[in-house]
Amino acid sequence: MSDNLSKGKADSKEYKESALSSLYEEYFDKIARYAYVRIGNRVDAEDIAGDVFLKALKSLNTYKERGVPMQAWLFRIAHNLVIDYFRKMKKRKTVPIDDVEIEGGINPAKVAERNMELEQVKKAMEQLTQEQREVLVLRFFGGLSSRETGQVLNKSDGAVREMQRTAIEKIRGLLSLED
Amino acid sequence: MKNDFEKILDDCVDRINQGDSIESCLADYPALARQLRPMLQTLFSVKEAYSFVPFPDAKRAAREGFNIALENLSRKREASQPHFTWLQGWSRVWATAAAVLVIAAIAYTGIRLATPQGETVPYPEPSIAAPSLEPGPSPVVPSIQPEPSPAVPSPQPEPSPVMLVAKPSLEGNFVFLISDDVNAIGDFESVNLSILKVSLLKSGNPDELVEFEPEQGEVDLTLLKGDNTQEIWRGNLPEGQYTNVSIHVSSVLGILKETGEEVEIKLPSDKLRITKDFQISKDILTTFTYDLTVVAAGSPQSGIKYILKPQVDQSGATHKPITQKEKTDIE
Repeated sequence: MSDNLSKGKADSKEYKESALSSLYEEYFDKIARYAYVRIGNRVDAEDIAGDVFLKALKSLNTYKERGVPMQAWLFRIAHNLVIDYFRKMKKRKTVPIDDVEIEGGINPAKVAERNMELEQVKKAMEQLTQEQREVLVLRFFGGLSSRETGQVLNKSDGAVREMQRTAIEKIRGLLSLED
Repeated sequence: MKNDFEKILDDCVDRINQGDSIESCLADYPALARQLRPMLQTLFSVKEAYSFVPFPDAKRAAREGFNIALENLSRKREASQPHFTWLQGWSRVWATAAAVLVIAAIAYTGIRLATPQGETVPYPEPSIAAPSLEPGPSPVVPSIQPEPSPAVPSPQPEPSPVMLVAKPSLEGNFVFLISDDVNAIGDFESVNLSILKVSLLKSGNPDELVEFEPEQGEVDLTLLKGDNTQEIWRGNLPEGQYTNVSIHVSSVLGILKETGEEVEIKLPSDKLRITKDFQISKDILTTFTYDLTVVAAGSPQSGIKYILKPQVDQSGATHKPITQKEKTDIE
């Protein structure tokens, strides 16, 4: 009886809206970081993070807490918005701002060195399979557990752990070659 | 065995995500430290390479949009609910009261029927008499308790920004200038930029987004190197503390000096935003210079691309009192 009551309450719109709202502060940054790693543009990554919450709000009636934790569900939405973004970008000619970030008051040599390191890591990340990359981004930048990552990608947590290990080893190998 | 290592690595990733150090994790798994260390260092390299914290203003603006959407949903829900919903909340109270009254009435009538004519009996107290006359199990009346509130706090909508459109005026308290930092601008014969509008975020409760369309939105950046500037708007803005300025660019086109070739200068986004705090007052003329630059990326082998970017450190506001003489000169 009480189980039914709590399930009913968890499924109520007001409850889900409150739950989504309470995740905003923590997960806006994580989702923006996730989008940034995928698309390389800070402003657009921030826009995507905002859109994730708006889209989640519109689709709350389709969300069931018993399936996937809400934060993992948000990353599923983010994943879809990033795909949409790439689709749109094929039609527009813009480049990521952070390719050539020049900050005032920073030593240009250091900036160049950092950009080179960033470029190496980026190149290494590009060598990963799409799924391996997705696992690392969700784990390292989204802060999701292996289980939650598996729920976003429809994989078991064991499969996520294995992909995580092979992806890290591969990046490690590629960065060692660069050295 | 491999499986165990993956679990341990996974545990370390979780701990590092929560702020733990590599050393602390290795200390718990000394037998695997040699294997784990390079992997965890790789994790740090990847994290560092992509370190990024969203702009607080961007986050705040997105949050305001979310709160507005949340409020709208709540309003729609309230509007679609049937009237007299308060009756539903009271229905159990009324049911209980009605049950007690009915039982009391039955009890009273029963006593009257059983009593000889003319004899009076005290009016039975419903709560005591009812059970004695109705020996069956007393009806279970559900206790009315307020619904416990959800575990998560209810959202406190933040005030949403109010949109204002500023009007141009020669006697205004605000001048908007465009300038250009050197970088790759020397490669160009001309760089023509079309600015659609400028928006400024004014702090307050609620925040205000003040927008204006430039009177002169076409700018050639090659003429604005160094200290050169071009005024694109002059008018009145509300007094207050402003925190960021965005220009909305529709196109930017460059002609290369060497070849006369027309090249596209790419935009990181349609909106170029800088975060800069400045004050606008009624009797002070605030001149804001928005500095842009064109940078080159890539190499001659892979191809050079040009990108337009705002220069935060070169941009900013200056202030000077508006004198009566200036007012008269303008007139």
